[in-house]
Amino acid sequence: MNIIEVKDLQKSYPRPENKKETFNAVDGISFNIQAKEIYGILGPNGAGKTTTLEMLEGLKDINSGTAMINGIDVKKHPYRVKKIIGVQLQANEYFDKLDLSELLILFGKLYSEEIDCMDLLEKVGLSDKLKAKPKQLSGGQKQRFSIACALVNNPKILFLDEPTTGLDPQAKRNLWKLVKELNHLGMTIVLTTHNMEEAEYLCDRIAIMDGGKIIAEDTPQELINKYAPEPSDLPLQGNIEDVFLTLTGHNLRD
Amino acid sequence: MITSLQLHLSKVFLKIFLRDIQSMIFNIFFPLAFIAAFMFSGSGSESINIGVIDNASNISSKNFTDLIKDDPLFEVTEGTEINLKEQLLSGEQVAIIVVPKSFDYTEGTSELKLLLDASQVRQINQIRTAIENSLLSVERKLSNTQPMFSLKVEDFKARPQRYVDFLLPGLLAFMLMNLSLGGSGFNIVEYRRRGILKRLFVTPIEPKDFITSIVLARMMIVVIQLSAVLGFAILLLGVRIEGSLFSLYGMIMMSTFIFLCLGFCFGSLAKTQEAIRPLVTSFTFPQLILSGVFFPISSLPDIIQPIAQFLPLSVVVNGLRSIALDGISLFTLDSSMFGVIIWAVLSFFLATKYFVWKEVAG
Repeated sequence: MNIIEVKDLQKSYPRPENKKETFNAVDGISFNIQAKEIYGILGPNGAGKTTTLEMLEGLKDINSGTAMINGIDVKKHPYRVKKIIGVQLQANEYFDKLDLSELLILFGKLYSEEIDCMDLLEKVGLSDKLKAKPKQLSGGQKQRFSIACALVNNPKILFLDEPTTGLDPQAKRNLWKLVKELNHLGMTIVLTTHNMEEAEYLCDRIAIMDGGKIIAEDTPQELINKYAPEPSDLPLQGNIEDVFLTLTGHNLRD
Repeated sequence: MITSLQLHLSKVFLKIFLRDIQSMIFNIFFPLAFIAAFMFSGSGSESINIGVIDNASNISSKNFTDLIKDDPLFEVTEGTEINLKEQLLSGEQVAIIVVPKSFDYTEGTSELKLLLDASQVRQINQIRTAIENSLLSVERKLSNTQPMFSLKVEDFKARPQRYVDFLLPGLLAFMLMNLSLGGSGFNIVEYRRRGILKRLFVTPIEPKDFITSIVLARMMIVVIQLSAVLGFAILLLGVRIEGSLFSLYGMIMMSTFIFLCLGFCFGSLAKTQEAIRPLVTSFTFPQLILSGVFFPISSLPDIIQPIAQFLPLSVVVNGLRSIALDGISLFTLDSSMFGVIIWAVLSFFLATKYFVWKEVAG
């Protein structure tokens, strides 16, 4: 069953160097995500990953195309969609003066839900930080707290935008474990990442985006089979990073 | 109708603010310090420091000097020319009266010389008049003539009014302007920059909930802080509020609403923290001078007055002053009340027109 159906999704912005012209940040992409799947959107900087997520989350207007989430049209009913999704954004700053429990209660209120702070913090391994301020958390703890905030409404779908960027290997592994656990509990997870290892390890399926388009979409293994360069004298090998570089080229982006 | 979400969010904003002890102390301390400073400097009538150089040293000149000394308007220092001139230059003396060698009032008119440092004296004319008046009464006493007229000044509103009574409504207005602009414009730019707004708007919160909460929280903050200053002024300085407190607080709420709306406009116009500071300063600073906070608008140059009267802070200062000093009710539709209503409507219109949601959130 598809929980997310995206068809010809498009978003254009004025060009920074010439405001009169526009460019398509997301250029007519289509994809489906099944319930309980971990779906990764992989791409270089500026590929349109975050814009795609933000359109699905109802943060950005959709220029054209449709996005259905759990049967609800995002364009028509953004607020109904917001109620059933959880979102972790790239920037995860919070009001400084509130502690974690107060922030969680606040987020619960925004969904009109009474929440159990301890239970949520236990889920993300921060049960000893109930009265800590966000500033006092490490990078990895901050990301896990972000996920706790995204879980206050017990969402059907969890959107994670580059959840492990800037984390050390331990914190990264720890977060992967958390994502897997949430997925086992039945949550559909959509994440964007630069990290090939992450995509390969976590995702059931991956879409590779470049220049606003999806240039490949499949399971990690199939992508490797299809696109990884074939070494002449060794058995078939390579990883998703090889696939990525083959497809998007080696030029620097930004 | 205020929803429980809006109420909760207002409480959160209030909590955030009350925990920001630094800004709270600063917000309350500045106006209090100001009032106190003016209070103490204004207590007792101000005397003019004046030096007398007695070159005659005769009975006439002694008599004259003694009478000048008796005048409460002057703080008299006698001394030599060199000494007193130095004091005049350093600003210790406002003026020096030089009594000539040939001074003798029994024989016709004697000329007195008045030395002034024009660059240091703000109101030469007033001082000259004051000195001339005093000389006249000295003359009468010395020549034993009765004054023909005596002027008894009576405030027709029949109540004492000190500068601090005049200053307080102005300062309250200035405080509420800063608190409101800071709470709406600055907060929004800051929350946007740090991605906090974006995080809030991926939840099902609607813009109106967010705005209502900020407005409620800010009104509470303004009421708390202004009450502190007002309480201090009433209890410790004996400032009297002629109108009802209901009218005063009603006016404070309306005024806060005006500046919150304008603050939301600034928050939408300025994209960065660097941009909002000069924008807001260029709005507040001229008003501090032009809106009659410290001195009445009527003392401004004639060309500026008509413009100054229409500034939002001016109408608010006027409104608060007419309640605090003249005891006008909130529901009296006079010109100041009318000005406040016009600004409330105008600022609300501007705020709803220019407040761009998607940009605020993204």
